[in-house]
Amino acid sequence: MIAVLGLVIGVVVGLVVQPGIPTGLVPYLPIAIVAALDAVFGGIRAMLDGIFDDKVFVVSFLSNVVVAGLIVFLGDQLGVGSQLSTGVVVVLGIRIFSNAAAIRRHVFRA
Amino acid sequence: MTGRQRLAAALWPPRLSRPQVVVALLLCSLGLGLAIQVRSTNTETQLRGARQEDLVRVLDEVDAKQQRLQDDRQQLQSSLATLQNSSQQAAEAQKQTRTKEQQLGVLAGTVAATGPGIVLTVNDPGGKVQADMLLNTLEELRAAGAEAVQINNVRVVAGTWFSDADPGTVVTGGTKVTQPYRFTVIGNSHDLDVALGIPGGVVQSVDKLQGASATVSEQKSLSVTALIPLSTPGYAHSAQP
Repeated sequence: MIAVLGLVIGVVVGLVVQPGIPTGLVPYLPIAIVAALDAVFGGIRAMLDGIFDDKVFVVSFLSNVVVAGLIVFLGDQLGVGSQLSTGVVVVLGIRIFSNAAAIRRHVFRA
Repeated sequence: MTGRQRLAAALWPPRLSRPQVVVALLLCSLGLGLAIQVRSTNTETQLRGARQEDLVRVLDEVDAKQQRLQDDRQQLQSSLATLQNSSQQAAEAQKQTRTKEQQLGVLAGTVAATGPGIVLTVNDPGGKVQADMLLNTLEELRAAGAEAVQINNVRVVAGTWFSDADPGTVVTGGTKVTQPYRFTVIGNSHDLDVALGIPGGVVQSVDKLQGASATVSEQKSLSVTALIPLSTPGYAHSAQP
């Protein structure tokens, strides 16, 4: 419950305060968000499986974000930034879908 | 314990445990990033966050477009200048043509003329004045610089001829003119007056004739209103020089 509240507070603060972000980070923010969403869905699935561990969640969340950002950064340096971003989004999307399917099976038993 | 029960247990009642707080912090940052990204995607220009090669492409396109528009502008400006120039030239040519037409019209007797000049009245109740006298008078007037001449109501031009008729009448350019002959002459009035009044000149010659008399009066402003009808040549066409 506290976790859900944290998410809501983050969204509200972001909408109300509207903070600016450094220009250098602008290309990485969308990918980082998708990676974080992947970690969140993985965390929900682990919780439903009864194997949730906060240390694992923190590490997977941060490493997902950092690795996704690194991949995009590397792609930009190699001149294939947009293609690599698309690839990362596709892979993370697939993972999100499979996690969502597992969650769905738990919640709806179907 | 099923997944559903675990979810319900995690949601309610709220417990301030370490895992909950840590996850809440992470989710808070996730929500923040989400809100920022959504807002910047929705409200800010598409260029913010675009990649370098995209920006270069956009810049190239804008440059090319600007170049095209500037070329267009130059072309339009030059054609505007050309048109203005030619219309000025056309107006100037029209003005000159109109002036020329007026001058030629005065010479040909197709337009009325006005200006300073003299009125020469030849009274001839005895019918002594004949066509040659009128022709001499006209020659004198022309030599003295007459520009437009009218005898009674007949315009006198280059092609006008005189012929004798009944006494007191002279056929002028096909029209019978009866005395008194009244010359309306536009030109330098002083020159004309002097030319008519010299010894042995027109006035003296007329006065020598029995019963005839000639009087000259200078006028500041005269009008020669008789016109020659304009006739189009049937065979001759103007040749371009």
